[in-house]
Amino acid sequence: MLTPARVLLVEDTPTQAEIAKAMLRDFGHEIRHAENGTDGLALALEWQPDAILVDLLLPDFSGIELMRRLKAARVNAACIVLTAHGSVNIAVEAMREGATDFLLKPYAAARLRVTLDNALEKRALRQALDTARTALGRESFGGFIGASPAMQAVYRTLESVAGSKATVFITGESGTGKEVAAETLHQASPRRGRPFIVLNCAAIPRDLLESEIFGHVKGAFTGATENRPGAARAADGGTLFLDEIGEMPLEMQAKLLRFVQSGTVTPVGGTRAEAVDLRLVCATNRDILAEVQAGRFREDLYYRLYVVPVVLPPLRARGEDVLLIARHLLQHFARDEGKRFKQFDVAAEAAIRAHPWPGNVRQLQNVLRNAVVLHEGEVITRAMLPDLLLQGAPVMPGPPPPAPAQAASATAAIEPLAISEKRLILAALEHTGQDVPRAAALLDVNPSTIYRKLTTWKKEA
Amino acid sequence: MSALDPEVANQLAEDLPPDVFRTIISTFEQDLTRLAQDLARAAQAGDQDGYERAAHSLAGAAAAVGAVGLEREARIAMDHRQPESAATVLPRLLTEAKAALQALRALTY
Repeated sequence: MLTPARVLLVEDTPTQAEIAKAMLRDFGHEIRHAENGTDGLALALEWQPDAILVDLLLPDFSGIELMRRLKAARVNAACIVLTAHGSVNIAVEAMREGATDFLLKPYAAARLRVTLDNALEKRALRQALDTARTALGRESFGGFIGASPAMQAVYRTLESVAGSKATVFITGESGTGKEVAAETLHQASPRRGRPFIVLNCAAIPRDLLESEIFGHVKGAFTGATENRPGAARAADGGTLFLDEIGEMPLEMQAKLLRFVQSGTVTPVGGTRAEAVDLRLVCATNRDILAEVQAGRFREDLYYRLYVVPVVLPPLRARGEDVLLIARHLLQHFARDEGKRFKQFDVAAEAAIRAHPWPGNVRQLQNVLRNAVVLHEGEVITRAMLPDLLLQGAPVMPGPPPPAPAQAASATAAIEPLAISEKRLILAALEHTGQDVPRAAALLDVNPSTIYRKLTTWKKEA
Repeated sequence: MSALDPEVANQLAEDLPPDVFRTIISTFEQDLTRLAQDLARAAQAGDQDGYERAAHSLAGAAAAVGAVGLEREARIAMDHRQPESAATVLPRLLTEAKAALQALRALTY
């Protein structure tokens, strides 16, 4: 016999039911019994059996109808039809409705055992095949698009860990989709439907970070005019995603460690600790272990957070994914911008495939949005793509982009400083494919300055 | 003619532990009592659907334990095309039921 299985018997005649149950018990299976189709369907949905033995003639509706309803309800069990001599034709019809096999009544224990074992084995093989197909061939998962082996590994890890509460630590270059990974994890978890709270540690001034995460009570500091719950309490029952955790100041790391250890939050200025139930997901584009070795990240916190690592591959390591994503984005942007674009020409696809995309998917998004906005037609040609892409040259810090140069020129109109600042920052981001740390390096400011500005502009918009 | 198909009944007695086999006979007896009453009640009330439904269940129960004689009579009763009346079929059916029970009990000794 195979391993013990869950077997649901749907049979209305007590004598027949007792005989089947006695045999199934002897085989070592777990058994449930329903005396009609309605109860059988309800039990199948609730209990999710591995196999169902269905009598063809039931008091409320036929076994064939039950098979149809099981199929419609996507009950993934091996169904075996029990039939008398006169109804073999109906049994064949049941096979067409998805029954794995049928048994002529009366049947001996050995016949039932062989039929059931075969059906269970067939089901196990089909499930293994489905899993293998899924693992090899998924072209998307959650918010991700990509069929490369590197992304299949990411999908598998996210899927495997989704059901647990274990902390997930996502690493990857800028633009690889760390927030997408966090949200995909949340959506695949039992916590979906509860809050998914994102906090960018680099975007928040260090003095406010504790309050942003743990909340504050009224009067805790100047400007704290009312009680505020903070991200941790807002995420209660759901997921808290701490992005750019490598930017978190050391003193804040100590407080985060206490929170991770105790599972309770104490708002700034408060005295009472409150328990919260959340799943923590962290991300950074830094080499977090190097940060630990350099003394910029607490080792004890590292071990608390680095439970399930997820490494997002750069776009250049994802093979043909770049084209899958580009085609998807083209459709999306064309729809969004009211354009007719449907596809790329061969040369454009070759250029996209050859480019190393240092800004990863975010850079690809910008390039394609730009091409869609600035051009017309049904096909994106090579000439519509930016020069840097055509040269196949990596985007490196080079001569200043046109916009800042114009802003700085003597002939440019005098404008408020805030507007010039915004123009320069956006130009630097455009130039680096939205890579905030590199844009910050070009502008000689801290990345947190750019994150803070972006947050402010978003709120203003 | 024997009331039981020896292949089915003996196989069942071999397949199941004696105490379980005795439980099955007891369940079969309860089925017989209930279904025979249902048959008689339906016949008296002229309820053809009820009569055929009870006869079908009786045939199923009989087939499960190899009670071939009882199954044959039950199948006659459930076939509305056959000419025999309930008054003719029912006594034969009860006789077969008693014989089947007796033969099944004999297998437990």
